[in-house]
Amino acid sequence: MAAAMASLKSSLLLPSPLSDFSGAAVSISTQPRRKSWQPRGARMQVSAAADAKNILVMGGTRFIGLFLSRQLIKEGHQVTLFTRGKAPITQQLPGESDAEYAEFSSKVLHLKGDRQDFDFVKTSLSAKGFDVVYDINGREATQVSPILDALPNLEQFIYCSSAGVYLKSDLLPHFETDAVDPKSRHKGKLETESLLETSGVNWTSIRPVYIYGPLNYNPVEEWFFHRLKAGRPIPIPGAGNQITQLGHVKDLAEAFTRVLGNPKASKQVYNISGAKYVTFDGLAKACAKAGGFPEPEIVHYNPKDFDFGKKKAFPFRDQHFFASVEKASKDLGITPEFDLVDGLTDSYNLDFGRGTFRKEADFTTDDMILGKKLVTV
Amino acid sequence: MAMAATATAAAGAVAAFTSGRRISTSPPSSLSSPFLPRAAGAIVARRRATAPTAAVLVRAQAAGAKKSVLIVNTNSGGHAVIGFYFAKALLAAGHSVTVLTVGEEGSDKMKKPPFSRFSELTSAGASTVWGDPADVGAAVGGASFDVVLDNNGKDLDAVKPVADWAKSAGVGQFLFISSAGIYTLTDQPPHVEGDAVKESAGHVGVEKYIAAEFGSWASFRPQYMIGSGNNKDCEEWFFDRIVRKRPVPIPGSGMQLTNISHARDLGSMLTLAVENPDAAAGKIFNCVSDRAVTLDGLAKMCAAAAGTTAEIVHYDPAAAGVDAKKAFPFRNMHFYAEPRAAKEVLGWTSSTNLPEDLKERFAEYASSGRGEKAMTFDLDDKILSAVGAAPVSVAA
Repeated sequence: MAAAMASLKSSLLLPSPLSDFSGAAVSISTQPRRKSWQPRGARMQVSAAADAKNILVMGGTRFIGLFLSRQLIKEGHQVTLFTRGKAPITQQLPGESDAEYAEFSSKVLHLKGDRQDFDFVKTSLSAKGFDVVYDINGREATQVSPILDALPNLEQFIYCSSAGVYLKSDLLPHFETDAVDPKSRHKGKLETESLLETSGVNWTSIRPVYIYGPLNYNPVEEWFFHRLKAGRPIPIPGAGNQITQLGHVKDLAEAFTRVLGNPKASKQVYNISGAKYVTFDGLAKACAKAGGFPEPEIVHYNPKDFDFGKKKAFPFRDQHFFASVEKASKDLGITPEFDLVDGLTDSYNLDFGRGTFRKEADFTTDDMILGKKLVTV
Repeated sequence: MAMAATATAAAGAVAAFTSGRRISTSPPSSLSSPFLPRAAGAIVARRRATAPTAAVLVRAQAAGAKKSVLIVNTNSGGHAVIGFYFAKALLAAGHSVTVLTVGEEGSDKMKKPPFSRFSELTSAGASTVWGDPADVGAAVGGASFDVVLDNNGKDLDAVKPVADWAKSAGVGQFLFISSAGIYTLTDQPPHVEGDAVKESAGHVGVEKYIAAEFGSWASFRPQYMIGSGNNKDCEEWFFDRIVRKRPVPIPGSGMQLTNISHARDLGSMLTLAVENPDAAAGKIFNCVSDRAVTLDGLAKMCAAAAGTTAEIVHYDPAAAGVDAKKAFPFRNMHFYAEPRAAKEVLGWTSSTNLPEDLKERFAEYASSGRGEKAMTFDLDDKILSAVGAAPVSVAA
């Protein structure tokens, strides 16, 4: 069971001849506080594993889905990815062994299409039939309607929403019962959640905060790593005591997997993110620790003193933004494995630290803030 | 949902979750001492290895039985109100309560709330006595108790005599009001149970001592409280300025998070610990509500409760030449703990609702006449003139 329930966690500091994505049973952590070799589910209510399902993942080739699809296949489900095919359907992940990758890529299926073509979505899904849909990349309710129409006997629709739907508040953390903001730029997620509720389908909605981890396409940790590597100061707006929250993508994938077939999760919303929050200044320091960099020089500035045009000078919203994850813990036994430095180290070791990143470094706004241009070697 | 193996494993998982780090769960230690009763159907609690050194007779209590509780209460300060709400919650639940207030019944301190309202306790059946915590036995006239809460001492000098007396008197459960102020500063809020504390803090010394002395002990770490009967100003500081249409000076960015709990939340948490001693045994509890509020947010909520808006002025205490501790009633930093252990271990829920609670607080403030009293605001004035003269700083 331990092998079948293999964790996707990596051994952080020890180079391992075995895959960093290999089963928990073989992965050894030197960090005494995080026993990554403990098989998943040891602490949790171990219910009977869900029967093998025919699962459709909308997306799945970019970030969350990479980890989620692997975990679902390891648990014995049939997984089809619905994508346009622009990105490779499968890619070997950093640290993933050839054998593991071969196993995964031989099993995962692809349904090529554009989810904006609602007619195609409806006909193709209806023709194939699926038990469960994971909607990882949906932004608008209109995208979800054809899926629901196509699959009237759908057992569960699991949606990747966002904690960005919460109405900004002076009282924190956000709980799932808090007011949402119908005007937020995530209102499409809200409208989707409403559609799911009114449709009568068995749905579960997951609201992550900031997601991080290897292969992150949102420059969250990468933003800090670029500056740390360049030996540059880290410009942080305001007092740097704004509090945010990061959740590791592998913990998120695990949470998505755990709600599958779980009756307690029926028609429920869950915040999923790290167990602790972090200040902006603290995050800069944590990234430095993760990458083995010296403690960074942090420069605070008043964003109102600058006009950055269309460029983003800092990757986080300039406010407190964090959510309680206790509902998932209490109701479903889902708790995050990674603490922040461990998780950032995992990301660094498997991605930026190997020389890979998604966005080239751009220090334009930094230089405006620092008031000078550094000559790069 | 079935508990994972035993409550100990669950508690270990809880502790692991709350600290954000994995710690290994130890197997449940068997309850080997014949002197410590095991309540019927109770779950095994984590125990320290120390065996009792003296033969003590501990009153066997079945789970669900009513308890006799002694509250050793401070005679002033922010924590005084805790004993008041705890007593009320216990009485409402049918337990018997004695409040031992430090000092003398006739002292001037007793003219202030909550002491001035002790008739609310005695009319509900509580005994109120006065005395010296160094000689609790004399103060309580030799009475015996199932539970003792020390809501007085901040260090071992003050608490040791109470703890020693409790142990020799066969008290089954020893509870202590500590402080969330003992947590070391962190970049990763909130403070959760299990996080590092300042080893030199007096409260830490007490926690260690009672952990070694009692099988059934628990420590509660509060922050700030509001509630009728409070001995120390909290929201009043904001109301004083708001009703006089004065600006509200807040140090730093105003984004600092703190926890303001209604005292009834503390009373309910403590009562749950009394009623679930095995679950509570050996535990630390952050004794706070489950929401933090920004300093700016608190000012705005106080103004809203008063039916108006607040004019907030941020300032850098150093630049203004003031000591923030004197100029402002809350810590000028994030001071943010969450009550994770209480929720997971005791099934406790928070009822604090600041916007609503502050309305009730303002109603009492307004009817007290305090808003009409002449008051000086020397430090405020100093700050306001400094800010007027200098550009707004963004330093924390």
